[in-house]
Amino acid sequence: MSLKLLSANHGAALAATLAARANRAGRGFCSGVYPITPSTECMEYLCLQEIEKGRVVKVESEHSAMAVCIGAASAGARTFTTTSSNGLAYMAENCIAAALLRLPVVMAVANRTLGPPWNIWADHGDSLLLRDQGLIQFYCADNQELFDTVLCAFRLAEDQAVMMPVMVCMEGFILSHTTAQIDVPEQAQVDEFLPLTSIPHRLGDTPHALGQVELPHQVEMHRHQHLAAMNGAIDVYAGIRDEFERVFDRRLPDAVVAYRAEDAETLIVSMGTIGATAERVVDRLREQGQKVGALRVRLFRPLPMEGIRAWFAGKQRIAVIDRDVSLGFGGVLWGEVNALADPGTVVQSYLAGLGGGDVRPEHIENMLSDLLPRTSAGLPAMMEAA
Amino acid sequence: MKNDTSLEPVPTSLEDLSLPLEVRVHGRGGQGGVTCAKLIASLYTRMGFHVQTFGDYGSERSGAPIQAFTRVDRQTIANRNKVYQPDHLIVLDEALMGPQVLSGTTPGALLLLNTRSTLEAYAGQYANYRLGVVDATAIAREHGIGSSSVVIINTTILGAYARLLGVSLGALEEAFASLGLGGDLAAAEHAYAQVQIRTCDPADAHAAAPATAWQPDSAPVTPLTEHRADSPATLKTGSWSTQAPRYREHAAPCNLACPAGNDVRGFVQALQDDGADAAANVLLRTQPLPSVCGRVCPAPCMQACNRDAFDGAVNIRSLERWIADHSTQALGKQTTARPRRFAVVGGGPAGLSAAYQLALHGHAVTILEAGPALGGVLRNGIPAYRLPPEALQRDLQRILDLGVETCLNVRIGHADLRRMRAEYDALIVCTGLGPALRLEGEGIDMAGVEQGLDFLDRAKQGKVELRGRVVVVGGGNTAIDCARTALRCGANSVKLVYRRGREDMPAIAEEIDSAEFEGVRLVLNRQPVAFSGNGSVSALVLAEVEPGAPDESGRRRPMVTQRTSHLECDTVFLALGQSAGMEWLPGTWQVRDGRAWEGSQALDVWFAGDCATGEGTVTHAIGSGRRIALAVLGRLDNAPETQPDAGSAVAPGQIRFSHFDVVPPHRDKELPPSVRRDSFEECNHGLAGPEEAGRCFSCGQCTHCDTCLIYCPEGVITRSESGYQIDTSYCKGCGMCVAECPRSAMEMHEKTKLEVRQCL
Repeated sequence: MSLKLLSANHGAALAATLAARANRAGRGFCSGVYPITPSTECMEYLCLQEIEKGRVVKVESEHSAMAVCIGAASAGARTFTTTSSNGLAYMAENCIAAALLRLPVVMAVANRTLGPPWNIWADHGDSLLLRDQGLIQFYCADNQELFDTVLCAFRLAEDQAVMMPVMVCMEGFILSHTTAQIDVPEQAQVDEFLPLTSIPHRLGDTPHALGQVELPHQVEMHRHQHLAAMNGAIDVYAGIRDEFERVFDRRLPDAVVAYRAEDAETLIVSMGTIGATAERVVDRLREQGQKVGALRVRLFRPLPMEGIRAWFAGKQRIAVIDRDVSLGFGGVLWGEVNALADPGTVVQSYLAGLGGGDVRPEHIENMLSDLLPRTSAGLPAMMEAA
Repeated sequence: MKNDTSLEPVPTSLEDLSLPLEVRVHGRGGQGGVTCAKLIASLYTRMGFHVQTFGDYGSERSGAPIQAFTRVDRQTIANRNKVYQPDHLIVLDEALMGPQVLSGTTPGALLLLNTRSTLEAYAGQYANYRLGVVDATAIAREHGIGSSSVVIINTTILGAYARLLGVSLGALEEAFASLGLGGDLAAAEHAYAQVQIRTCDPADAHAAAPATAWQPDSAPVTPLTEHRADSPATLKTGSWSTQAPRYREHAAPCNLACPAGNDVRGFVQALQDDGADAAANVLLRTQPLPSVCGRVCPAPCMQACNRDAFDGAVNIRSLERWIADHSTQALGKQTTARPRRFAVVGGGPAGLSAAYQLALHGHAVTILEAGPALGGVLRNGIPAYRLPPEALQRDLQRILDLGVETCLNVRIGHADLRRMRAEYDALIVCTGLGPALRLEGEGIDMAGVEQGLDFLDRAKQGKVELRGRVVVVGGGNTAIDCARTALRCGANSVKLVYRRGREDMPAIAEEIDSAEFEGVRLVLNRQPVAFSGNGSVSALVLAEVEPGAPDESGRRRPMVTQRTSHLECDTVFLALGQSAGMEWLPGTWQVRDGRAWEGSQALDVWFAGDCATGEGTVTHAIGSGRRIALAVLGRLDNAPETQPDAGSAVAPGQIRFSHFDVVPPHRDKELPPSVRRDSFEECNHGLAGPEEAGRCFSCGQCTHCDTCLIYCPEGVITRSESGYQIDTSYCKGCGMCVAECPRSAMEMHEKTKLEVRQCL
């Protein structure tokens, strides 16, 4: 283990590199990459690494980048790519293909506002495009967590009971371009943590076409399998956390990260770095005697519904902060967790930091001031953070 | 320097660091502010702190004001916000200093400035801060960091920061090594030694309230459906640029090439936009003889035309003719507050041009002409098939309509000159060239050998009958005119003998083409050395000529050899040029700088056209006449001489060809050669319409084509009454409008300090 000063982008690429090398005795590693701000640095870092039995293929578009990963994974290789925003939107068709073909591609996504008009800053709306398409999604809050989650994503994606793509999301710039210390493990530890990639349905020696026509009942069967694997991934992840701790001597955060939530009357629910800010707010308000706690949803797909439901139980008010908006509805996370609260709990949707606004503690305090007098949830409310 | 023990760190306060510590770096895109913040982070990690560092990213455009942040703490840093209340402030570019930079600082904060000024310059300023000043730019430049135009100072200033912080050079070295920047360490050490530090008296600091307090905004929480206001963009991206575009007229190559000084681009564009009368308005400012030049000008403008490098030069000469033939623009007598009297000696193109300009300015002008009519070489030299008398007459009438007086059949001598000096405010002499040059050779005086100019004059006055074989000697326009006129006068064959090659012939290329087209045969690299015949010429003896070393004009000097041949002929016309012919001036006068002098006294007798310059074309003569007329007026009014610098012409490489469609030039209608030889009817009937004007690129002058507006990625260009307006508050200075301007009518300029500040 050694402490390295790395941006989250570089951290993701370094984790992928270690994972790539860990498969050197297996069917190797392959990554299709195409640059887009703010994920470019991840791709650049990866391109500079020497990977035994590995190849980073620079292609002409995000769509092709994922196509490379699909081809490589279909041949049994460990695969990784990274993208952002409209690049992800362009890649989407192949992301869905990778998911439905049950290929364990790991993706680092630097969340960025979809345009036009163009905006390069953070917004979760891009990765949420793929919410329903059979890809696992993590949202991280700091550099170490991002690094560890990428490593863990390979293990989770390639687990025989899971076998599907994993997206590890970080807010563009706020996380992707922030440099901080990352505790980087030795290659031997990574080798120990990650078994060789084994994709049971990989192409053998006989070439054949993938994804031919299927009939309604076959679709139903495949969706059922995919859904069951998704739901099972929560438990698989729990097992991986233990294994991760055994090898690296530190614990991965839970699928939902609770902070001073046990006795809280009011909960602040969010994803990504806003969760870290929410924890600071909790500390400030606790000092004033307010019973506030925070819950950060780290694993968004599959959504750990039981875990969230348990944390929600008995709370009076819940503020759900989304750095995204489902137009015509409200916050996406809010929509997800709304039904998990007790009847009578006020679950209010707040939208903040859209387009990359800096969501500061005072903004969240404002939301709580708005929430406190409410006896029932109102329309989704927006906080403009510049 | 590293071993210099006198360079002790300034004792502060690493122990007193109030944690978490927040550092904010202000710089411009390209200055390396983010790397600077990373280096700071790296420095603190050497001391066992937790760090976090990030930039406040914009468009990553060079020059844009940027911020970068570093947080330092003893424990894991969970704060994900930008730094609003920095403890340490590092400013890489002093020009950025202002309330925005100082925002959020509290008394006692550290402020490190990259500046050329010394500490004394800040007396009374930033009293609340612990101030460090260092000329990191000079140091980095000395150490060769960055390029000569963009010096990178982010590593250098770190040395100064380390000194302020009380950190040893050793820690700095490790931090640099960790980012692979060890090469810049010497500059940082230099800054470590050079930084000037002013401590802050804690009492003073706390007494003075910070003028830069930061108030967190407290935006209301509103239902999504109530966000109705379209908030204006607060990001003034205009502050990102150090360069800005502007509309700027550049010189068109045709304009610079025109010997007459015509605004070629102007009249062509006016023709396209507003028709022949508008174009004539532009043209007639400088051009008294558009009907003439539209027919006989060698058109240097067309040789300079940038369109030539694309799909063929614009047919400018014929557009001028179109304007002259189709405009009804009339000029009347002009007036002036101080009318003067001028005499112009000589009614050729230079004299006409001088008289025209003087009359346009409202002065009284009399032209004294030795011949029976105005026009000079236009009247008696240029054949009617090139310049019909009616066309010349139209131009002459326009000049006369200005009130120009004429005295015809007047030959001026010494005495007249002296007398006229008293009668007129100034005389302008435009007598053209002197007698035609002769050829030395046996038999030159034989019958059948005649000066070409005399022949052309006779041919213009009445029908001249020729028979048999005609040989013309010479390679200029007069020679070509003689050859083509001889054909029309009945010659059975016409040969043109010239001592050099075709490419060296001074005649207008199209005229040579026309002559050959009509049947004139060129006999090149031959020099007549003798004429033979029995009383009248029957043959020329031609010597072969070899090209020798280049002369001053760059042409190969003809070297006459001993190898000769005979060329049988019945008539020979000599067209070898004319002498200067100024021997009729008083002997005590000298001509200097286009003016007559008697000893050291400058006389108000001026010279224009071929008699002064010998440039030899109508267009040059027009230009010379106009310039001398204006110079005379300026001199008489004691106006200072102004020579506006037109700048260099827009080059083909500065034209965006890709914005133009390929459109071949519109050609003139020409008579077929079978008809031409039988008459003096004008061969060239000019253009069928004025559409050719649409091919003009309008090099260097905006045509309001909207390309800039369309290509501006920021949408900050709008149409205005005078053309376009650029919203400087938001223009990022990307230069795309300038790069895309099809005609080089825009340019980038360095913003002044004031302009930069206005955008902040």
